[in-house]
Amino acid sequence: MPTNGLDRERLTWIFTQMQRIREFEERVKRTFEDHPGTIRGHTHLADGAEASIVGSLAALEPDDQLLATYRCHGYPIALGTDPKLLMAEIYGRADGICGGYGGSMHLTDVSRGFLGTSGIVGQGIPQATGAAYAAQIRGRGQVVLSFFGDGASKQGAFHESLNIASLWKLPIVYVMENNNYNVVTRVEQEDANAAAGEPLAVKAKGYSMPGHTVDGGDPVAVYDTVSAAVERARSGGGPTLVESLVYRLSAHGNIIAPPGVPLHYPEHEAITVFGNKEEYEAALRGDPVPRFRAKLVTEGVLSAEEADAIAEAARAEMEGAVKFGLASPFPPAEDAVKYVYA
Amino acid sequence: MATHELPYIAAIEEAIREEMERDDSVLYFGQNIATHENDPFLKQFGGDRVRVTPISETAEIGMAVGTAIAGFRPVVELYMAEFMLVAMDQVVNEANRFHYMSKGQVKVPLVLKAGYGFTCGWAGQHTGTIYGMFTGVPGLKVVVPATAADAKGLMTAAIRDDNPVCYFHHYLLTLEHGDVPDGEHVVPLGRANVVREGADVTIVAIGWCLGKALAAAEQLAANGVEAEVIDPRTVAPLDTDTILASVAKTGRLVVVDQSTRHGSVAAVIAAEVADAGFGSLKAPVKLVTALDATVPYSEPMEAYLLPDEAKVADAVHQVLGNAPVAA
Amino acid sequence: MPPVQTEEGLELLRSMWRIRVFEERVGALARANEVHGLIHLSVGQEAVAVGVCGALRDDDAVYSNHRAHGHALAKGASPAKVLAELMGREGGLCRGLGGSMHLVDVEHGLLGATGVVGGNIPLALGSALAAKLGGSDAVAVVFFGDGAVQGGIFVESVNLATLWRLPVLLVCENNGFAEFTPRSAHTTVERVSDVVAPYGIARETVDGNDVVAVRDAFTRFLGAARAGEGPALLECLTHRLRGHYEGDPQRYREALAEEEWQRLDPILRLQRALAVEGGEFEAEAREEVEAAERLARASPFPPASLTAELAYA
Repeated sequence: MPTNGLDRERLTWIFTQMQRIREFEERVKRTFEDHPGTIRGHTHLADGAEASIVGSLAALEPDDQLLATYRCHGYPIALGTDPKLLMAEIYGRADGICGGYGGSMHLTDVSRGFLGTSGIVGQGIPQATGAAYAAQIRGRGQVVLSFFGDGASKQGAFHESLNIASLWKLPIVYVMENNNYNVVTRVEQEDANAAAGEPLAVKAKGYSMPGHTVDGGDPVAVYDTVSAAVERARSGGGPTLVESLVYRLSAHGNIIAPPGVPLHYPEHEAITVFGNKEEYEAALRGDPVPRFRAKLVTEGVLSAEEADAIAEAARAEMEGAVKFGLASPFPPAEDAVKYVYA
Repeated sequence: MATHELPYIAAIEEAIREEMERDDSVLYFGQNIATHENDPFLKQFGGDRVRVTPISETAEIGMAVGTAIAGFRPVVELYMAEFMLVAMDQVVNEANRFHYMSKGQVKVPLVLKAGYGFTCGWAGQHTGTIYGMFTGVPGLKVVVPATAADAKGLMTAAIRDDNPVCYFHHYLLTLEHGDVPDGEHVVPLGRANVVREGADVTIVAIGWCLGKALAAAEQLAANGVEAEVIDPRTVAPLDTDTILASVAKTGRLVVVDQSTRHGSVAAVIAAEVADAGFGSLKAPVKLVTALDATVPYSEPMEAYLLPDEAKVADAVHQVLGNAPVAA
Repeated sequence: MPPVQTEEGLELLRSMWRIRVFEERVGALARANEVHGLIHLSVGQEAVAVGVCGALRDDDAVYSNHRAHGHALAKGASPAKVLAELMGREGGLCRGLGGSMHLVDVEHGLLGATGVVGGNIPLALGSALAAKLGGSDAVAVVFFGDGAVQGGIFVESVNLATLWRLPVLLVCENNGFAEFTPRSAHTTVERVSDVVAPYGIARETVDGNDVVAVRDAFTRFLGAARAGEGPALLECLTHRLRGHYEGDPQRYREALAEEEWQRLDPILRLQRALAVEGGEFEAEAREEVEAAERLARASPFPPASLTAELAYA
């Protein structure tokens, strides 16, 4: 039974990618416990945002492009990058998609249109806007997606980019994943619109741009909204701001600590900072992955056995990625001074 | 070699125009350019490749990074180096790192064109010499032309370079005429120029200070001192080999830089020579830089702060072991 | 033009004439090379400076932009000290260190002009925060042009001022040009008040060449801010009667016709409304400026060593 123009094959694909992202992120998280010392630095997981990521990417054509933030693991998985290369990158190994140069925050796969990420909040927005300008000049009908969080919408870079994109009618869709938190700050503490009880999408009005708020836990709703915006952009209608409401199920990232202190993922800030266990538990109950699974099974798109098989395959695949990463050699130390200049 | 005479500013424009003619992927955008239909760049290249932007440096430079990653070669008109400061992240933390962090999957060929060093009563926030803030930044190149010919040649090279390049042109040199070679003219990045040969002392002078150094050299020649004057032209990457070879010959070094002392490239040059050329030195290295203060508005104070011929000559006398010439 | 008490109206007229004559004289001195550097005159925009600053106290902080002379004079800075500053003299507001774009007069609450577009908007937030934390009902005002509105620093400030209910008044002199480009080259949104509308900040757009309208609207926002009701944005639609800077050949716009000038000039408009000629105010202003110039010329250039003394506090 097709949902909103998405046939069984597409719906299955969406579910599969969501499951793969979830399993990948689980393995990253488990690495801290199972193989301490393997992951250094700071990782940020996309668990809870799978529906938003996959629903958005489902709207793209092969020639389209995107930039994202340091919370970037989900996009290349859905785009088809081999998760072994992603895990190797997160483990700092030579076989990593960026040869160990970038790490978790900079998973880049240009061959699939994922042009890069920034570790600095908001700074990928003007870069995506530039890629959209390039697309406009080329005139091949490409569209660019710019992914960022709610925290980034307070950055001047957001304002400057949306203004220009609107003025030049650039083929871009700005996808703001609003998970209500900026590390340990709640959105109402830092955003005038949120403090007034308004959706952040209202900011679009300041740029003569349409703004939509969508349930980021429902991949079909996300697909509907983003694909309409992508069509608008592709046909020369200009940019759109899409506010996708998500809830990240893990803490902002693993703890930041000097060497010697084992890294791990603490509990979600809702609990540790705000003492709001109910909010977190409600979010767990609304977890988009089982929620979408239940919808597909209930509507007869997939049988329970098929859904289980997809989950199992994803788990096996990502366990394989871990093994591959652990076995991958480190790059030679002297390679550190390569790739400084093109 | 056949040449044509151009003011410095026109030489830069000629380079941009010729590169845009040669390569469709070169773009030119920034504030206050191409705003009327008779603008020559707009007429020649059209509104896709030439665009005016709002006052949005973060977006301008960030977009340049994005278009470069997507296969174009943008030149961003920033007017003043100080205006880059508002978007510092995009310059020293984004543009320069993408190639490295992706292990070469992307290149960021862009040119940030900005004027600097104005003085003349522009005071406070419009008069800095801040190229030192952009040197030593991995992946970022920085050029500082001092003549019309180099202004053209370095811009051509900067546009062709596959890396992000900060192109700083000195305001006081804007109308300085010079002979620019006809036809294709490329000055390789990272190569210094020995402008004047001499055996008694090496003077390395950056940007506008080159003129001061050459004037001082004439003065010194009248007193029997022959100075070798070197223009680094690119300050990142720095051509230390040429400087070291000269110091090996003369044994004495004065470096002239309009930046403040500890923010100067002069300090870096001195350190490199102290490290690799110590055996050649017959005297300590002397730096002639701006004093450590914001450039003030009022004229006598402004002059007090900045390098000039007398200060250069004085420094030379110091490294020669003579008493300083009275100011 | 809304009705105005004649006495208040005459005071507004006097203040505008003071600025007009001063700026004309600065223009002449710049052409004679006695005032150096980059000079931006407020000729034609006097109504905003006077309408706003005249309602403020010395403990209210004012931040201005590159076009600062009018704001400085309207806030109470001595014309002699401003002129001496422009002429680079020791007796200048900043002892010749700052010049036209960096006027500071702490005594009268002028905390600074800047040459970086929008650069001091967050500073005004800081002053407002300090006032609020200190329990005072003082406010902070920052002047900027329409060009500054597209800068990230602007919207970051609007969000925070609104969120923290800061007593900061954002005064935008929308003269339709940012340097040499018209607003339409900068954004799709014509009215600055529409750009900030999504943040819910109190806002109004007024005819910036109608000094009484400016004074009225500003006084309302001022009262609300003093009462703790938070920030506001006052968009003043005005016209820059001269080029962006002194010497700007203005190839980017048509020269204003004489009738246009008559219609737009805030001084001529107020005089028509009050049915006065204004000659006495002009004469008074001229005397003041001449006296200021004598004082400025009598002031010596500062010693060169002053720069080293003041690098650090």
